[in-house]
Amino acid sequence: MELIWFACFTLLLAGYFALEGFDLGVGLLLPILGKSGDSRDRMVAAMAPFVLANEVWLVAVAGTLFGVYPALEGEVLFGLYPVVVAMLLSWILRDAGLWFRRRIGGAAWRGFWDLMIALGSLGLSFGWGVALYAAATGFTSSLLNPVGLMLGVVVTLLLAFHGWTFLAWRSPGLAGVTRSGRALALSGVVAAVPAVGVLLGSMPYLLDHTAPAETLNVLSVMTLPFAPIVLIAQGWVWRTFRPGKDAVRIPSFF
Amino acid sequence: MDALELARLQFAMTGNLHFLFVVLTLGLAPLVAIMHTRWALAGKPLHERLTRFWGQVYVINYALGIVTGLVMEFQFGLSWSGLTHYAGDVFGAPLAMETLVAFFLESTFLGLWIFGWGRLPRWAHLACIWLVTLTAYGSAFFIMAANSFLQNPAGAVVRGDRMELVDIGALFTNKALIFSFPHVIGAGLFTGAMVLVGASAYQLRRRTSEVEFFTKSLRTGVTTAAIGIFLTVGFGYAQFAGIQEGKFEGDTGAVPLGIMIEIGQLLALVVLFAMLPLIRVLPRWRWTHPLLMLMTPLPFVLAIMGWLAREVGRQPWMIWQKLTVADAMTPGLTPPMITGSLIAFVGVLVLLAIVDYVLIARVVRRGPRELDLGAVREPALTY
Repeated sequence: MELIWFACFTLLLAGYFALEGFDLGVGLLLPILGKSGDSRDRMVAAMAPFVLANEVWLVAVAGTLFGVYPALEGEVLFGLYPVVVAMLLSWILRDAGLWFRRRIGGAAWRGFWDLMIALGSLGLSFGWGVALYAAATGFTSSLLNPVGLMLGVVVTLLLAFHGWTFLAWRSPGLAGVTRSGRALALSGVVAAVPAVGVLLGSMPYLLDHTAPAETLNVLSVMTLPFAPIVLIAQGWVWRTFRPGKDAVRIPSFF
Repeated sequence: MDALELARLQFAMTGNLHFLFVVLTLGLAPLVAIMHTRWALAGKPLHERLTRFWGQVYVINYALGIVTGLVMEFQFGLSWSGLTHYAGDVFGAPLAMETLVAFFLESTFLGLWIFGWGRLPRWAHLACIWLVTLTAYGSAFFIMAANSFLQNPAGAVVRGDRMELVDIGALFTNKALIFSFPHVIGAGLFTGAMVLVGASAYQLRRRTSEVEFFTKSLRTGVTTAAIGIFLTVGFGYAQFAGIQEGKFEGDTGAVPLGIMIEIGQLLALVVLFAMLPLIRVLPRWRWTHPLLMLMTPLPFVLAIMGWLAREVGRQPWMIWQKLTVADAMTPGLTPPMITGSLIAFVGVLVLLAIVDYVLIARVVRRGPRELDLGAVREPALTY
């Protein structure tokens, strides 16, 4: 049972990087590829239908941390206190940017929230690198450790590449090239490598700190039957918003 | 202030902000779903416009519900890891249900509903908003179950230095839950309904050209407000049967409780014995419209009072007579840490909340035209 939940936890975190990873990547590329307001509109519209279904994977990661690894939840989040606060603020600003950018006309308003999307995506991507390194060292290293900061840069670059691959898959005109669904899946796997690596490295520790069997049984009975529904819903998103004629619709709500 | 008071203040402020948006989400979701259903059944343009207009208010409000909710979820680990250490095995179960199933599906279906306009088949699109409503209520249920465990730790026993879950049924039939959940749902409906009433009154008072649109919205609002306040008051009083002994004795929790009950009863009288009987003429009686607009913020105030009563009344306990708030705080949390995050979170969220309300007010003022939600055509280019 511990192994099943470890697999679930790994799947959720890997899913977050593979899915939300490209949203963050598109956010990072916004100031680089989106020189004009119109091209930024199209970039955001390309990822918009996926964002709500993607970011929720991290909400689920935190929920699993709470339910399956209650002894570690405080240790992990508190050990990373300033990083977690900064990442949450980044996430908030990124989301606010998406929801608000089209609510009022005018280039300045939209430009401001586009900047918030880019900065929020940067804060999250970079923060993940720092957080993963700290977790790998058991929260003993300084949060400003050069290796951690370097991992922040690496994760940021990985996600930017993943975002670029996503754009090339869904709306080839925006990225300048065309990529297949297989290439997107591959860049998703690559984006998830650092996080999965850290989890596999700490597997014995995690298994040791799993909630007792009664709790896991309750969690399994209550959540696992819904797993197929959740996956079907996610699959429905991908089916509905697959590339093709009219894939990126303007005006988009985001 | 010491770290404990600061951490409590942070949780109270972010929690209240969160609920201001959640309570409206809970009320508007079923109303928008009903409007969408009528549109899908009859195909009338009026129903489509009702769905898009109130749907737009609903989704703009939703944005702040999400971002404040994120801070709530992570705060448990940042500030209150003592709770997870002591009772995470119990408390974590409903929270995992909420995040892994209910909110996961809610967020996925909401994305499909917002961006599936003109893309999804009619009935599939309609199903999305009903699934969003269902899972939103599911989320509310699990969060209330977790909160009710703190009020009345049913279904768990203390083993060694921590609590263990022994009876999942008792966790979800907690006497602190069974009446508080419908109370919250009623309050949500009442809040959503009063927003319909207030916004429609504003438009009708200004002699809007959309008379039919806002007459219909006003009447929907009044009917729903009557149902909502009836449920809220009924299940509110029913809760007193299961309340902890001495919870409100000489305690600061008694003050918000008193305010909520007094104003709540007055509102119930006004809604049930004045607004409901006058529902036919209310849209025409323009002198009543400023009064209706003034009533719009009251459900939000009452909802906050309700939470203050429930949470402050529990002090000094995090888990009633099991774990104190002081013991639940993360060891090592220092005043500078919590001050920094308090200022950052509350500062950013309050600013965003203000922006969000201004954006909602703009939608209401502009009325049902040039809506972003469900816009499927490129607007005519003007050079």
